Amino acid sequence: MSLSVVPANPAVLVRRLIRRYGERTVIDGLDLTIARGEFVALLGESGCGKTTLLRALSGLDPIDGGSVEAPRRPAVVFQEHRLLPWESLWRNVSLGLAADGARERAAAALSEVGLGDRLDDWPRNLSGGQAQRVALARALVQEPELLLLDEPFAALDALTRLRMHALVKELIARHRPGVLLVTHDVDEAVALADRVLLMRDGAIAYERRLAGGAAPQAVRDELLAELGVAATPRAPAFPTPSSHSVV
Amino acid sequence: MSLADPHAIAALGASSPAISSSARATPWSGGARSRRAGLLALSWVAPVVVLLVWETLCRSGYVAPQILPAPSKVLSTAWKLASTGSLLNDLGVSLLRAATGFAIGGLIGFSLGVLVGFFRLAEAAVDRSVQMIRAVPFLAALPLTIIWFGVGEGQKIFLVSLGVAFPIYVNTVLGIRQVDPKLLELARVQGLSGWTTIRRIVLPGALPSILTGVRYALAVAWLALVVAETVGAQAGLGFLAMDAREFLRTDVIVLTIVIYALIGAGSDSIARLLERRLLRWHPNFGGGGR
Repeated sequence: MSLSVVPANPAVLVRRLIRRYGERTVIDGLDLTIARGEFVALLGESGCGKTTLLRALSGLDPIDGGSVEAPRRPAVVFQEHRLLPWESLWRNVSLGLAADGARERAAAALSEVGLGDRLDDWPRNLSGGQAQRVALARALVQEPELLLLDEPFAALDALTRLRMHALVKELIARHRPGVLLVTHDVDEAVALADRVLLMRDGAIAYERRLAGGAAPQAVRDELLAELGVAATPRAPAFPTPSSHSVV
Repeated sequence: MSLADPHAIAALGASSPAISSSARATPWSGGARSRRAGLLALSWVAPVVVLLVWETLCRSGYVAPQILPAPSKVLSTAWKLASTGSLLNDLGVSLLRAATGFAIGGLIGFSLGVLVGFFRLAEAAVDRSVQMIRAVPFLAALPLTIIWFGVGEGQKIFLVSLGVAFPIYVNTVLGIRQVDPKLLELARVQGLSGWTTIRRIVLPGALPSILTGVRYALAVAWLALVVAETVGAQAGLGFLAMDAREFLRTDVIVLTIVIYALIGAGSDSIARLLERRLLRWHPNFGGGGR
């Protein structure tokens, strides 16, 4: 049925997924496999159904056809931090944990994202990047088999975003969940993922493996071309200009 | 009852140093601060002048004591009544009525509000009736309550409860409905149970609105009590005032009016204290931060 090779015991197995909003078919017969511990980035223009796919995987939305096999409770980091403003940082991170030892686990998770000294602080005292780091800690403290990232860095400034990339890489390497990163930032996808997918017309239109394979620069140019943007040489000098996004 | 006034004044007070500092070369200098203190002093001038004029008119005999007693006379009456203990007794009776009525009405309003806020079925069953009753000025029910309960404690507590229940109900429903759907989605993603979602997301999210209801209800409780006590009572501040009327003791009547005002202001401060304590996470209430 599927053309790609399916790894044994994958974290995510999507077959012929269909999702409609009224008359409009947003996802149309999409196939997707994510291996355990694999980092997959999903690119595509706005409105192509990236987020719809992520929501189907997270179980937030129902599906209209096909099948989705995913861990029962994947962790999700949204574009907004979605911290509860009335709870301290450690309480926010512990949301959904059993009460036993919740504070210790939350403290460890907050230390991992560099906020170990802010356990009892309020979310309103955080910068955008810090808030998103807490959201990341809240997702990882669950020890998820699958981590869904819905453009989590889109609202951050360019420098903060680069720091977040480094942090995410480090954390993913340590926790090894399967990851699906939805983004429209080609550089971000290439910098983080083992494999990059491009979605168009409700299905995966293009796929490239990065880990140990093609040179990132080549994949980046290819992706930009696929998205209909002329590839420009990446400025190596610091600071990096805001990366190429397709909006 | 002007509930919004303290806010308006606070906002004015907060903005004035900014205005003056922008006009000066050295912002936040001592000049801005002393100007602020000057404005504060100025705001007290008018009330003090009114009191002085009132006192003078009464002492010089232009106003008969039966019409309006001098402020000093009211003060000495307060001292006399307080020292015999009767004032404290009446005050206690009134406070107890208000507290009991507030507790009963608040509980009913909150419970119905939670049910209607959460369940469409409860909304269909309850909301229309509540809104219809709410359209009636609840004080219009006074004669009816006298027939039902006589002029005893039950009638006063009922009237206070009736007045309190509506603002609490309306604001509880509103608060629950306004909880950010994105946070409810988060609750699903984090695998929270229904009860945990209510406890950690819905009720805290609704709290600012509920406290607005509480503040309004406190004002309504006093209004209801004044009316109920004035119509008929054997004890309490209203009784004190009506009893004094029989003997043309305007000093006692004015005293009860002043006490009602003080209690109104006091209950408003309690509401604000509650907001500061319970909403210290909230940017609008917590202040401070970084």
